[in-house]
Amino acid sequence: MESNDLEEEEFGFSRNYFLAKELCSSSKKSARKVSDINLVDEQELREAYAKLEFKHEKEINNLVNSYQKSYAEWVFMLRCGFGLLMYGFGSKKVLIEDFASTALTDYSVVVINGYLQSVNLKQVTVTLAELLMEQLKTQRKLDNHPKNQQPLNTQSMDELISFLDGPHLEGGDSFVCVVVNNIDGPALRDSESQQYLARLAACSHILMVASTDHVNAPLLWNKKMVHTEFNWYWYHVPTYAPYKVEGIFFPPILAHSGSAQTVKTASIVLQSLTPNAQKVFKVVADHQLANPDGEGMPLNNLYTVCRERFLVSSQITLNAHLTEFKDHELVKTRRNSDGEDCLYIPLTSDALQKLVHEINQ
Amino acid sequence: MAPSADPETSPSISTTNSDLQPFFLLHKAASRKPSSKTRRRIDLSPKPSDASAQEYNDNLPFDTFKLLWSNTQSIIKDVLKNLNTTVFDGIDKWVHASFDAIRASRTPDFTTATSMYPIPNNVPIGAQIFTALLFTKNVESVDDISTFADLGAHLRSNGCLVANLTSIDFSAKNGVGGCLKTLLRQFLLAGIDAPEMSILASWYYEQENYDKPLIVIIDDVERCNSSVLNDFILMLREWVIKVPIILVLGVATSVDALRNILCSSACLYLSVCEFNLGTPAERMDAVIETVLLRSCQGFNIGKHVSAFLRNYFLRHDGTLTLFVKALRISTAQQVFSEPLSFVLRKLVNEEGTEGLNGDNNLLREPAIKRALELPSLQRFCETRGNCIDWVSALSELKRLHQLWSSLVMCLYEVGRYRKISLLDLYCEMLKLKPQNFCANDLNLVEKDYATAVHNYQSPGCLQDNGYVGRAFQMLGDFSAMELCKILDRWEMLTRGIAEIHEKVKELQSQMTLEEKQLRHDLRKESKKPTARTYKKDWTSKSTLNEKVASFLQSMFREYIQTIESIPLHEIIFFDNVDNLHTALIGDPRRRIQADLLESRKFLKCSCCSKNDGVLVPSMHHTSIMYTLVQEHGDLVNVHEWFHSFMAVISNPPLQSKKKLRMSPSPKKRKDSKEARTKTDASIQAEFCRAVTELQITGLLRMPTKRRPDYVQRVGFGL
Repeated sequence: MESNDLEEEEFGFSRNYFLAKELCSSSKKSARKVSDINLVDEQELREAYAKLEFKHEKEINNLVNSYQKSYAEWVFMLRCGFGLLMYGFGSKKVLIEDFASTALTDYSVVVINGYLQSVNLKQVTVTLAELLMEQLKTQRKLDNHPKNQQPLNTQSMDELISFLDGPHLEGGDSFVCVVVNNIDGPALRDSESQQYLARLAACSHILMVASTDHVNAPLLWNKKMVHTEFNWYWYHVPTYAPYKVEGIFFPPILAHSGSAQTVKTASIVLQSLTPNAQKVFKVVADHQLANPDGEGMPLNNLYTVCRERFLVSSQITLNAHLTEFKDHELVKTRRNSDGEDCLYIPLTSDALQKLVHEINQ
Repeated sequence: MAPSADPETSPSISTTNSDLQPFFLLHKAASRKPSSKTRRRIDLSPKPSDASAQEYNDNLPFDTFKLLWSNTQSIIKDVLKNLNTTVFDGIDKWVHASFDAIRASRTPDFTTATSMYPIPNNVPIGAQIFTALLFTKNVESVDDISTFADLGAHLRSNGCLVANLTSIDFSAKNGVGGCLKTLLRQFLLAGIDAPEMSILASWYYEQENYDKPLIVIIDDVERCNSSVLNDFILMLREWVIKVPIILVLGVATSVDALRNILCSSACLYLSVCEFNLGTPAERMDAVIETVLLRSCQGFNIGKHVSAFLRNYFLRHDGTLTLFVKALRISTAQQVFSEPLSFVLRKLVNEEGTEGLNGDNNLLREPAIKRALELPSLQRFCETRGNCIDWVSALSELKRLHQLWSSLVMCLYEVGRYRKISLLDLYCEMLKLKPQNFCANDLNLVEKDYATAVHNYQSPGCLQDNGYVGRAFQMLGDFSAMELCKILDRWEMLTRGIAEIHEKVKELQSQMTLEEKQLRHDLRKESKKPTARTYKKDWTSKSTLNEKVASFLQSMFREYIQTIESIPLHEIIFFDNVDNLHTALIGDPRRRIQADLLESRKFLKCSCCSKNDGVLVPSMHHTSIMYTLVQEHGDLVNVHEWFHSFMAVISNPPLQSKKKLRMSPSPKKRKDSKEARTKTDASIQAEFCRAVTELQITGLLRMPTKRRPDYVQRVGFGL
């Protein structure tokens, strides 16, 4: 790493940036529109999208298989106390899950799908603590713990983490391994989630393997998290495998600006939400199906109904659900003639019926 | 995709049920036996091609790492602790003095002390909260985490009650209740749902805690939410009589920081005393001295790695934490990739090198084979061939390494006077070649000196002979007093190394003798000071300096060898800078773009690799798309992009073009037209998928309402 090279690199980067900027301003801005493309029908597009094959299947398989020789090294680094962070282009889900199921059989493995919106780290931590408890019990090393302890799922996050961070007892280590697909995924992108993940990774009984896809993923962490808590060991493992599940929630760019929700994506989003959230959604859907020509369900009515059915306990929880719906464009608001905010689902009655049928299954 | 998986079968990428669960249990731990089959398969030793590698004990590399690293870690911990001892002692003294002052001026009577409320009306106007500001001189708080933990432990051991808080506890979200909660949890060792100061007050009076000072340490006060911190201080002030808390605040910048965060009234409530920690550079030097030079415990870093870490420390990161992590990664990589690394254990273990020649691990075939390959071990091969004299190789290694380290330390003692850091000196010493030690090179000519000074002013440039040469030249400028001090230090540093120690002592005695002589002469001629006296004084001083300088030079010539000539240097000096760099820093921004632009390199397919640099339809589509993006400015018109993409992927290979031209039957044309409309949907779908993939990697920003026909580029060039 000669100093000249470094300077050249930095200079090169800024030069590229300004060249790109210049290119943009000097050449006449092309005014051609997306709509000028001879777009096929959206339904057809989505069908084609679902049927897409991927090229170089054989080469991708060879590439992914070639990483198997590194499994021994990965396990070694994991045991040395590092967290493994896999990056590079292509979905790494298959790769790291295969690694976990062939090379980490000595440890219990929990997989977190960070590309989903609805990851609840508290639940994950409870599961981890339960697994560890079970492991310790089978090894009969839990004698010093009080037997009639508070059940794990009622303990606070701090208590759970301090349990997972307990000292290792003599005669073998007990670890639970956490595999995080897309640690930079939408549900985990906030700093609080990352703090919790970092604290989890720092626990003495936890091993962590994670994958990241975003080029700016390191911005999620400060130095304390990177070097002392996660203690990342970076591995560059491009797979070129298609981002099939990871990309499921991204609307295709050519599908009429992505506004029209289809039943398929809506039901996938709904299935990833909590049962209560699903029920709240159904209240709105039922109302809309009962009054197909109405302007939607007034917010106050929704709150009253949900409270009566014990779906929410306060306006705040209801708002949390609604924000989630609105983010995914499952529900929209408009004012009715009385000036009330009304909620409606931007789907036709047929589509809505189909959706309700699907989530009831 | 088990090890025996057929490469032809595709990995299961269909969306299964578990893919849509936020989290799931993949499998539970298998029943564990130390010698289970799975374990053996996983812990393959690093050369799987070698069948006999299996015979290695599975846990050997891991145990080696554990031993080496726990050793290094404890050394580093001790160094940092010792470095701060004086500051900690100072704080401790101040704490007790402050506590006595509090006790002397304001002791509540029993009835007010046990009431539920603070005594706000009775707070004397001048009553202040005693506050120590501990300047960390380091914007990166990560290095100071352990410092504050050590401080807490130090104060606790001296009879204080301590709570360690950080800026996370002072977040706007949790408010002042959040930090009070942490405070109570740390003091009372129990979780409390409704935190109140009165709980703390009653706890403080109930037990034997009453006679102990209550300390609250806040690591990084600049990062705290200012309103929460203000509230906290105002609250403490209300309770100042009943709960006399003493604050220790870690400050990265200057005393002004406090004024910026706190309102003026809160500032007035603090009675401030200042303390200073060492700079990161000082800590770095201390760690290098003990870990890499003094301990001689085996593992070390080579010239490329040390130069890389030095540059990274000075130019990018500036934290000791990264350096320590780099050491840890280096140790792990070395232990894993070097089959002979278990020899390092012998250097750390107290058992020493005894019985080494008969060690089972060393008698195994691969170990011997590897050892015979090492050029640095050739001298120790016995004539019969397959046998190596390990004991003498290791003792030679220890001897040379000790000589090397102590001479570097001697030079550092000189450089210290002009603020040359050990880090610079160490990196340069690793690079030195034996021919550099001749006298002419070490005494730099004027010009070289000027460039050396220039380099010193712009940190980050490492030049041959810069720091070492400068240190040697300095020897000429020292006064007799300074020389004496340096010799004393040398005498201490070289203890246990017979070759040098004797000569240093000799030099010392000469020094004292000549000094006496000098003083005697001076006294004699003091009555009539002439120009001659001065001249004599000057010449005798310079001869002394010359003597010391020539002594050090001769030592260097005689005992310093290049790293490459030290036996077993391949095992001891880790120097794979590329591996370390990728493991330590990653650099996804550059690598992911490179993956996309150079997909052929990784996929190694026969179809695309022929046409180098030309876009062919068979390439990975996302890769084609990203290559096309490079031709645009920072905004990419989606329409144009789509058309160029379509042009690339529907561009038929030359052969089929010919065929089409040869048989222009109307029927076929119709067919191709049909095929065309069929592919329209699929091309658009391909385009959408590629855009989505680029969106996942974060290289693109999607169209917005303001610019519906454009995507924005995020990455620019490699």
